[in-house]
Amino acid sequence: MANIDRRDFLKLIGAGGVGAGAGFLLADSIKHPVEHLIPYPVPPEEYSPGIVTWYNSVCGMCSAGCGISVRIREGRAKKIEGNPLHPVSQGALCALGQAGLQVLYNPDRITGPLQVSGERGAGTFAELTWDDALRSAAGRLAPLVESGRGDRVWMLSSGGGGHLGRLQREFMDALGSQNLVRYDFAHPQTLYAANRRFFGEDALPYYDLKNCDYLLSFGADYLGTWISPVLHSLGFGHSRQGTEGSRGRFVQIEPRLSLTGASADEWIPARPGTEGLLALGLAHQLVAGGAYEGPDADAWNATLASYGSARVAAETGVPEDTVKRLADAFAHHHSALAIGGGAAASHRNGVDTLVAVNALNYLAGNIGKPGGLVFNPAPAAGGSPGQEGYRGALALIEAAGRSEVEVLILSDANPLYSLPAAAGFEAALQQIPLVLSLSSFMDETTARADLILPSHTYLESWGDDFPEPGVGFPVGAVSQPVVAPLYNTRASGDTLLALAQQSGALLPWASMEERVKDGWRAIHARGSWEDEPELQDFDGFWTALLESGVWGETAHREHTGFSPAPEVIDGIGMPSAEFSGAAQSYPFVLHPYLSQTFNDGRGANLPWMQELADPMTAVVYGCWVEVNPKTAARLGLSEGDVVEVASPHGQIRAPVFVYPAIMPDVVAMPIGQGHTEYGRYAKGRGANPIQILTPEMEPESGALAWAGTRVQLTKTGERAKLVHTGGESRQLGRNIIQTEGAGDVTHAGGPAIPIKVVPS
Amino acid sequence: MSVSIVPTLRVLKPTFLIVGGGLAGLVLGYWVNVLFFPGLTPTQPIEFSHKIHAGDNEIPCQYCHIYARRSTSAGVPSVAKCVGCHENVAADKPQIRLVMNYWNNQEPIPWVKVHDLPDFVHFPHKRHVAAEIECQTCHGPVETMEVVTRIAPLQMGWCLECHRAENVVHGTDCWTCHK
Repeated sequence: MANIDRRDFLKLIGAGGVGAGAGFLLADSIKHPVEHLIPYPVPPEEYSPGIVTWYNSVCGMCSAGCGISVRIREGRAKKIEGNPLHPVSQGALCALGQAGLQVLYNPDRITGPLQVSGERGAGTFAELTWDDALRSAAGRLAPLVESGRGDRVWMLSSGGGGHLGRLQREFMDALGSQNLVRYDFAHPQTLYAANRRFFGEDALPYYDLKNCDYLLSFGADYLGTWISPVLHSLGFGHSRQGTEGSRGRFVQIEPRLSLTGASADEWIPARPGTEGLLALGLAHQLVAGGAYEGPDADAWNATLASYGSARVAAETGVPEDTVKRLADAFAHHHSALAIGGGAAASHRNGVDTLVAVNALNYLAGNIGKPGGLVFNPAPAAGGSPGQEGYRGALALIEAAGRSEVEVLILSDANPLYSLPAAAGFEAALQQIPLVLSLSSFMDETTARADLILPSHTYLESWGDDFPEPGVGFPVGAVSQPVVAPLYNTRASGDTLLALAQQSGALLPWASMEERVKDGWRAIHARGSWEDEPELQDFDGFWTALLESGVWGETAHREHTGFSPAPEVIDGIGMPSAEFSGAAQSYPFVLHPYLSQTFNDGRGANLPWMQELADPMTAVVYGCWVEVNPKTAARLGLSEGDVVEVASPHGQIRAPVFVYPAIMPDVVAMPIGQGHTEYGRYAKGRGANPIQILTPEMEPESGALAWAGTRVQLTKTGERAKLVHTGGESRQLGRNIIQTEGAGDVTHAGGPAIPIKVVPS
Repeated sequence: MSVSIVPTLRVLKPTFLIVGGGLAGLVLGYWVNVLFFPGLTPTQPIEFSHKIHAGDNEIPCQYCHIYARRSTSAGVPSVAKCVGCHENVAADKPQIRLVMNYWNNQEPIPWVKVHDLPDFVHFPHKRHVAAEIECQTCHGPVETMEVVTRIAPLQMGWCLECHRAENVVHGTDCWTCHK
C-alpha cells in the first residue's frame, strides 16, 4: 500500500464516497415509508377508525331493486354484498351489483358542474359553480314556466324506481309539462302490455320459480338478465336442489344458448319470432288433449284450433314429437310454469307471444298458486309507473324535429347509445337548444349536452325502490347515502328540486331526503303498529327501516276464479314476426342479447366487469359475433376473423366467435360494448349492435322491437385476437369430464342409487 | 515458457482498489444509516410531550387514544380533543398556538407514525387491551419520553416470543395475524 500514488488515492476516496452514499440510500430505500396518522378535526358521530359498519341500501345497477349491505370503514365503502333481510336478493348479489364500488370510485366520474365551451359536441367543457350552473339552467326554464310553455321542456329518464321516479313526474308537472319519457332498453315493456291484455293487470307477477317443478322459458334469460336475475337464480337453485326427493325440470326455448339455456335440462331452438307460435301449439295440445277442463274450454278449443302440432312444427322448426312431449310434460307436472322474455318478447309480435305464454299458464291452472305466477298486492307507494318506452322516445324525436323542444333534461339516460341510430335521435338532438344532463359519467349523450349537473352515485344519495316484481307481498326498500359524497356532485332529486325552486315551479320539499321521508310517512300511516309499539312513531319506524334496509307487508292477494274475458281468448293469435331486411340479401337474423356483465351497456366503464369472462364464450374485454360452426365453414370464417355486420340500417365490425349453440341462420352479439365515450375503460372497445337495429316498434306496447333485424356478414380480411380464458372448449378425446348414465351409478357392490325420475 | 497472471493483476490493481473501496463504502454507508439514522424517533409536526401528558399529569393513555379498547387501531385524538383542554390550559405556549392554528383552519395535524406494521399484518389493539397487557409492554415507557421513540423491533419473532411465553390460544397460527 505504500506505493499508492496520488491519483489512485483520489480515485479510492472518490469510489469510497460514492459507495458510502449509495449504501446510505440503499438502507433508506429498504425502510418503511413514512406514514401519517391523520385525525379528524372533529370526528363524525359513530366514527371509529378500524371498526366496520354495514349499511343497508338498495342496489342501483339495474332495475331489479336488490337489497345491498355495504361495508364501511373509515367512511369509505369497501365491499358490497346482498342484504340478507331483503326478500328479493336474500343476501345474494350479482357481479354487476358487487362492482357498484367501481361506480363510486370510478376515475372517470364527473366531479363538478360543467358547461360546454365552444361548439356543442366537441367535448370541451368548462367548470362552473353549482350556483352558476343552476342559475343558468333555471334562467332558461323560468321564462317557459312563466309564459305557460312548460310543455317545451322534456325529460328523458331511464326509469328511476320509487320516489325519484315520482319526483321526476312532480317536477315536470310543476313546470307544466307532460313530457316525461322513461326509456330503458331492458325494460320488459311487452310483458306489461301482455299482462294488461290477458290479466287486466298493469304489473308484473311474482314468478314462483322456487316452487315450480317444470319451467318453460320462451327466451327469458332469467338467470342472467331477465327482470330480477338474483331472485330467479335463488328460485332456480331451490327448485333444482332445495326440496328433498324432487328436482325441477327447466326447458329453455331460444335460438342461441344463453347461460340460462346452458343451465336448463333441455335447450330447444325455435326459429326467431316463432316462440309464441310454439306456445300456442303447446296450448293447443293441452286443450285438445283434454288436460284443460275449465268452463271456457270450448272457446279455447276454437281459438287454438289452427295451431296443430304439424303446422307448429313446420313453422317453428321444432320437431312434432318434441312439441307433443313438451305439451304432455307441461300438462302433467304439478306446478308447471311458463315465462317469456328477451328476444322472444322483442319481435314485432312480442305482446302476442307473451299473451300466448300467459295463456299456457292459465290453461295449466297455475295462476295464484305456489309454483305458478302470483300477482302482488298493490305496493303501498302506488303501482309501478310503467315506461313510455320507445314510443315515448320517438315522440321526443318528432317533437324535436318540429322544434317543439326547448330544453331536454337527461336523467341517467343515454339515448345515443341505447336507441337505434336509425331512430334519428342524433339529428333530433341538434334541434334542441338546451340539453341538460344529470349523469355521473361522460356518456355519449352527456358529451353532447350544454350543461352537466352531475349526479351523486346511488351509494351517495337518498332514494328508495319498490321492486317489481315483488315476491307475492309488497316490498319497499330505502336507499341511504352510505358514504359522504366524494365529489362536488348533487343527487339528481336535489338538483330537480333546486331547479324547480329557481324556475318558479314550486315543490313542497327542500331535499330528496325529505321527499323520500314524506313518501314513507304515507306508507307508515297505512300500516297498523299495535303489536310493535316502537314503530308507532314515524321516527322509530324510519330508524328501523334504515337499519334493516327493507320493509314488507304480510298482505297476500287471493286469486280466486280468474278467467280471461271471451274477447281476450278470441283475440289470441300469432301474427308472424316481421324482419327488417330481405332474407336474400340479409340472410341472418341478428340476435342481440343483454350482457350479464354490462347489462344494457351501463357496466362497460367498470374494469371488473370488463375483466369478467362472459359465461358462455369466456371472452374478456371484448365484443364478438357468434356464428354457428356450419355457417362459419360455409362463409370461410374462423375465430378472430373481423366481419362487417350490416343491416339495412347500418353496419358495425366485430370479430367472429364460432359458437356451436346457435341456430345456423342466426348470429348473436352481446350488448354493452362499442362506446364512443363513457370513460377510459369503455371507450373505443368493440361495437354496439343497438346501433344497427331496425327502428321498428312493437305496436301494442310501444316497445322497441329489437330482435327483428336481419343482417349480412362480410369478411373484411382483418383479424383480431379475442382474449378469452381457457384455451379449448372441447374435450378433444381427453375425457376430462367423465359422465355416466344415472342407471349405471352403483354403490360399491350395492344397488343402484334410487333416483326419482321426474316423468317427462 | 511459463505463463504468469502477475502482470495482468498488476495492471488491474488500481481497479481492484477502487472497486474494493467502493464496496467498503457501500457497507459503511448502509450501517451508518441503520445505526445512526434508524428513524425510530421521527420529527413530529408539533413537539408533543408524552412526558408532560402521561407522566407529569398522569393522564391515562386511553383518555386520548380512545379507540384502543374497541378497535384494531388505537387512534390519535381528534384536533377537537386537543382543543378541548388547551383552550384554557397552557394556551399561551408557542406549541399550543400551533395546535390552535390547525384548529382554526379546521385542518388535521399530520402526525408521523412511530409504530407502523406492514399491511399484511393484522394487529388488533382491542384484544391486547382486553388481555390487560400494559401499553408500555410494546410502546416502552412513553410517560417518560419527551419525543416518542420506538423501542420494540416489531418483527414477527418479537411478537411470537410473547405469544409463546403467554401461551396465547392460537397465538402462533399463521392466520391469527396474517389474514
